[in-house]
Amino acid sequence: METLAEKDRDAGSFTTVKSKKSQKRKREAGGADMETEGPGAPKRPQFPAISSDKLRGPDEMRKVSVPAHRYTPLKENWLKIFTPIVENLQLQVRFNLKTRNVEIKTCKETQDIGSLTKASDFVKAFVLGFQVEDALALIRLDELFLESFDVTDVKPLKGDHLSRAIGRIAGKGGKTKFTIENVTKTRIVLAETKVHILGSFQNIKMARTAICNLILGSPPSKVYGNIRVVASRTAERF
Amino acid sequence: MATEDMWSVLEDCVKKINDNTAHPENFLSLQDGAAADFTTLTKLLYDLHKTEEPAEYKGSPLVQLVVENFDEEQIWQELELQNNAVMTHFENATNEALSDEKLSVLVEEEDDEENSVEAEGETHDDDDEEEEEEENDDDDDDDDEPPKQSKRMAQDEDGAEGYTDEDSDLDFDVDALEKREKQKKEIGRKGSRPKVVPSEVDDTFFKLSEMESFLDDMDKREGKEDENENELDYFQDLPSDDDDDLDLNDILSAKKKKKIIAKSSRNLKYKDFFDAVDREPGGDEDHSDGEEDNKDKSWQEGGEEIDEEADDYDGEEESDKHIWLMSKVTFNLNEDSEGEDLADIFGGKTPSSAISAVKSSFEKRQEKMSEKIEELEKTALADKPWQLSGEITSQSRPENSMLEEDVEFEQTGRMAPSITAETTLQLEDIIKQRIKDQAFDDVVRKEKPKEEVFDYKKKLALDHEKSKQSLAEIYEQEYLKQNQQKTEEEENSAHVEIQKLMDTLFLKLDALSNFHFTPKPPVPEVKVVSNLPSVTMEEVAPVSASDAMLLAPEEIKEKNKAGDILGDTEKTSTDKMRDRRHKKTVKRIKIKEKEKRQKLKEASGTGENRKLSKAEVAENLKKLTKGGKTKILKDEGKDKALRSSQAFFSELQDQVKSQIKSAKDPSSKKKKHKEVSVSKLKL
Repeated sequence: METLAEKDRDAGSFTTVKSKKSQKRKREAGGADMETEGPGAPKRPQFPAISSDKLRGPDEMRKVSVPAHRYTPLKENWLKIFTPIVENLQLQVRFNLKTRNVEIKTCKETQDIGSLTKASDFVKAFVLGFQVEDALALIRLDELFLESFDVTDVKPLKGDHLSRAIGRIAGKGGKTKFTIENVTKTRIVLAETKVHILGSFQNIKMARTAICNLILGSPPSKVYGNIRVVASRTAERF
Repeated sequence: MATEDMWSVLEDCVKKINDNTAHPENFLSLQDGAAADFTTLTKLLYDLHKTEEPAEYKGSPLVQLVVENFDEEQIWQELELQNNAVMTHFENATNEALSDEKLSVLVEEEDDEENSVEAEGETHDDDDEEEEEEENDDDDDDDDEPPKQSKRMAQDEDGAEGYTDEDSDLDFDVDALEKREKQKKEIGRKGSRPKVVPSEVDDTFFKLSEMESFLDDMDKREGKEDENENELDYFQDLPSDDDDDLDLNDILSAKKKKKIIAKSSRNLKYKDFFDAVDREPGGDEDHSDGEEDNKDKSWQEGGEEIDEEADDYDGEEESDKHIWLMSKVTFNLNEDSEGEDLADIFGGKTPSSAISAVKSSFEKRQEKMSEKIEELEKTALADKPWQLSGEITSQSRPENSMLEEDVEFEQTGRMAPSITAETTLQLEDIIKQRIKDQAFDDVVRKEKPKEEVFDYKKKLALDHEKSKQSLAEIYEQEYLKQNQQKTEEEENSAHVEIQKLMDTLFLKLDALSNFHFTPKPPVPEVKVVSNLPSVTMEEVAPVSASDAMLLAPEEIKEKNKAGDILGDTEKTSTDKMRDRRHKKTVKRIKIKEKEKRQKLKEASGTGENRKLSKAEVAENLKKLTKGGKTKILKDEGKDKALRSSQAFFSELQDQVKSQIKSAKDPSSKKKKHKEVSVSKLKL
């Protein structure tokens, strides 16, 4: 490079830039003694080991929108929400007031890239209506999932029937819902026509079956009997 | 000198022999010493007589008898060589002796020497050789010296060997041979023909009586042969390749040979074979011995002559048999049968002899054939034996005859395994292998399956309230529970047991030691409860026991879903209706199932051949009897008449009698006929 620069300076005129090809050829021609070393194959690039800092790509971010009715509960439970995220998962979290989104971002301290998903799920669950403690289980356990479906998906109901179906699911004072929750070890959120279930895969299935039966019209006692049987069977297995 | 030496040697030998055989009882066991002595003796004698052998005698090439390391067989073969070679000379010598009538006892010495040497040269008995020698000697017409010699020889050999059995045999043999010889001689002797009975059939060539006598001889011989069939006939002349077999015939032929040497076969004339034609039958003739002897065997003549002409002594091995065969014109028939035929024909001599003179072989054959045919016809016409007469019961055949039969039949079932040595070996191998592998087929004790105590508590209690714990906590607890189970197992079971025992002990001690003992509240513990009646439980009266520990009635039998069981009077109308409805539904289901089954059955069963079920049969019967056209015969057993034929016929008789009576007697008011109903009699 220096020689070229010098040449430029010296010449002050248009200097032809030697193409790399020609340079190569010259080298080959000049280095007659180099032929004996081996075939003229390109050398393998040697890279030194790179540090994890450099490996890290740009910071990822997740956004979870918060509906209006959950705004206040979010504000109340904010401490409880961000503490596990920040301390346990080493993520950055903030609530964007303008967009009304909870934003979670990775940072330097983040060890596990999957923790971002967990955190976002956790926030999502809370936003859907679950309790913070229940939603916290998502962070602590890997096998927990979240399922949502509509009552109308199960059976096309309209008007009163729909209301009655929802009422059946809930039961008097939430009795039926709690019973199902206790027996199947899940958490259920009834949001008008939507049903959200949080729990492990098998348990979600059990709860879903029970709720579907309720929607379809079977009395709660029957449903209790069924889930009891199923639950005892699963409990026996373990 | 030489002879004196010889004598001394011989005397020594004799002495030795006598010494060795002084105690014949020793020979019951193996006597190696004596055997060695005898072999050396043999050698000595052989060498001796070999040296004394005149030059003419072509003896065996062996100058000395080799006995060292030689087996008895080999020694014997050496001797045989010598003997065979020398035998011819001896034959000539004996022939000369025979022909020379001037021989007297004085000549004995020489012969004696030779013979005795010969005899003593053998330590082992050869029956054939002896026989030959004896025969040679016996064949001297004029001297009884050879028989005496042979007897002496026999005696010598007695002394030599001490075999008492052989002794008697030798004697017997000699006697038998003498007898035979005499017999033959008698037949052929010049002056004596005691048996010649002139008959009509007699001819110049043929004499009936001669033939008869000949046949008798043959029969006797055959009879002897039959007796000795299975035994080895020690005294029989065995044909061998050597010139060992010399029979009477051969001697005679040898004699004759000398005479006929002058004649060649072409010069033979009729008179050489036969007597003069003009001679009367039954008359004696004075002809040479040879011709006489020829006569004697009227049928053997031709054969013999031919034999002689072709004669080499080598060929005489088959002379005996050959002559015999040549004499008979054989038609490839059973010899036995022929012999029998002849016997039959000539057996009853007096009546049949006049009629059935001589039968040609063809006629004989014809007769036999006809006999056979007759037999076959008889068997064909007669009743077949029981084996061939189809189905047969045990009464028609003799007792236990089936056991002797080889019956073929197929066996459909598997045969019982035959137990042989091999099968037992196989079994034993299997057993050994099993023992090695420790793979035993032990019987597993059957255990009564324990009836599980009804797990009442297993029913999950339904909680209708919101759970106090959060989901996370619940799962946490579960996780911990799972892990804890593992740690719990690691606890020392012994500790747990000890703890339990200690607790019970202390409880007892407390109860005993306190005046006002207040027992501890019962700790809920898991215990398997046996559902015994409470009386037995409370008898023991432990302080902290109660009825509550027993199974509840619901745990024994599950409660009815409907609730309390009601009696008939307690039931309301709804209950009754409910029951009725329930009953009807159950019944309906049952009927439907039955119909389904019936359909399947009918579909599967074939049209006509299917087996009718009991119900169907009953139905059919009912249909038939409905119309009244058919009637079911019921054997109620009340009809004694049907039990036995006697009863039946007596009843019938009675009935008929009564009928007749009623018919005869019109005034009788017995109008009731007892109809002998067809149905009742089941005709």
